Amino acid sequence: MSTEILIGAWVATGLSLFMYSFLYKDNPFFKLGEHIYVGVSVGYGLVITYYEVMVKKLYVPMLQQGNWWLIIPTLLGLLVLARFVPAIAWLSRISFAFIVGVGSGIAIPRVISSLILQQVQGTLKPLVMAGDGGVTWFTLAGLNILLILVGVASVLFYFFFSIEHTGAVHRIARIGIYFLMVSFGAAFGYTVMARMSLLIGRFDELIQYASPSYGYPTFVLLAMVIVGLILWERGRAPESGSI
Amino acid sequence: MAVTLCRLLATDYWFVMNDFASRMLRLDRRLIFLLITVVTFLPLLYPFGLPIRVSPEVQKIYDYVESLPEGSVVLLSLDFDPSSKPELYPMSVALLRHAFRKHLKVMGMTLWITGTGMAESVFSQVAQESGKEKGTDYAFLGYAPGGANVIISMGQDLYAAFPTDYYGVKTADLPMLKEVRTLRDVRYTISLSAGFPGLDTWYVYGKEKYGFELGGGCTAVSAPRFYPLIDTGQINGLLGGLRGAAEYETLLDMKGKAIAGMDAQSATHFLIIFLIMVCNLFYFLGGQRREQRG
Repeated sequence: MSTEILIGAWVATGLSLFMYSFLYKDNPFFKLGEHIYVGVSVGYGLVITYYEVMVKKLYVPMLQQGNWWLIIPTLLGLLVLARFVPAIAWLSRISFAFIVGVGSGIAIPRVISSLILQQVQGTLKPLVMAGDGGVTWFTLAGLNILLILVGVASVLFYFFFSIEHTGAVHRIARIGIYFLMVSFGAAFGYTVMARMSLLIGRFDELIQYASPSYGYPTFVLLAMVIVGLILWERGRAPESGSI
Repeated sequence: MAVTLCRLLATDYWFVMNDFASRMLRLDRRLIFLLITVVTFLPLLYPFGLPIRVSPEVQKIYDYVESLPEGSVVLLSLDFDPSSKPELYPMSVALLRHAFRKHLKVMGMTLWITGTGMAESVFSQVAQESGKEKGTDYAFLGYAPGGANVIISMGQDLYAAFPTDYYGVKTADLPMLKEVRTLRDVRYTISLSAGFPGLDTWYVYGKEKYGFELGGGCTAVSAPRFYPLIDTGQINGLLGGLRGAAEYETLLDMKGKAIAGMDAQSATHFLIIFLIMVCNLFYFLGGQRREQRG
């Protein structure tokens, strides 16, 4: 096994255990892991951005391939930085105007078409269809169509604040609340599933790195973290309250 | 006399129950963390192989890939970074294996700059194990800044959006991309997305405008908001979270990371459901005691 993989396994295991040590309580191992994470994320982002964008998308095409028109977006990008110099801060408005103008022009028609019109179309599907093959009456699939329609309409009623929610409006809005509750429940269930998946992913790697081929980093580092936490607890002044 | 004794016993019983419930509610939460740890670790070490049912939205993606003729160009956009690796990495491995097994030409890219290295490694690893050649059977284009603008640019001229691939080779010179000038030449696009830019960006700015078929994979957190898009046909299928990846692995008859994790997933879900029920029971029992005292 190569040295990089071994080092990677030990670092990954150590940092995972440092972060999970927070489940016991806030401690120096967690803080160390947290600071390393922030530093590495920023550093990695900067290096990748420099290489992938500045070098590959700007320096090479402009200076080595002679695509000098790239000077225009470069200047627009540099003008954004003018915000840091109060005397010429107004120059950044040119870039922002360009970003807002082009961004809105591209986004508004596409978003209206994809996220509003097509969704409205999906909500208002016919329950009875007449075609060459005759008339198709209400089927079991139609129940879904009806459910979607009732759900959308009742939730919209719930968010309609221009009239007082009394009588029939109150009852329809109440149905809307039930639909919203089901939707929140489904979203929460999926969130739990996602968080557990992340935990499983980490545990899977911790099990993998517990093997002799990696030098037992999981066991060694777990023991070190536990001993470290005990020593840290002993060295601390007693606290009045618990977590 | 007997009735009074029964009442006294019942009152005592309730007080004992309430006291127990209140103590349970004050239990150190670290015990719950420990329980979750044990329940997650055990199935990973000793899997018990619960059956995995394939949902229609996963089946549709599988069937669509199956229906593509040999040599068709498929675009796989890995729009995630290492923080979503446990959910989306198994999906990318399964999809790539399926595409290579079907002898499809796979074009890879990412809209997430921090996912570039990981995306490249999954492509090169799966290609190597499938015996596929870089540039001929697959191409990894890497990252381009701009999100939606990259997709629009690819729809107009792929070579302009990506003048070179990740390895610095001119895209126009790649044998695999000889017939692919724009997104209109792509038969199927799949975005594995952990947020924005991702699957949303692909259907808003790509599919609608350039008319290719689009499928998606996403983290479980974002799955509920993509389901309406299946109903309207804006995406033809969806792999949602680790479960979606496990279902795809089942269809491929492949023992991957996702299937290995599903037992642990089910076990933790059972534990969480049990804890929610028990905590609610204790809450109401403890609450009754507070009301009695009040």
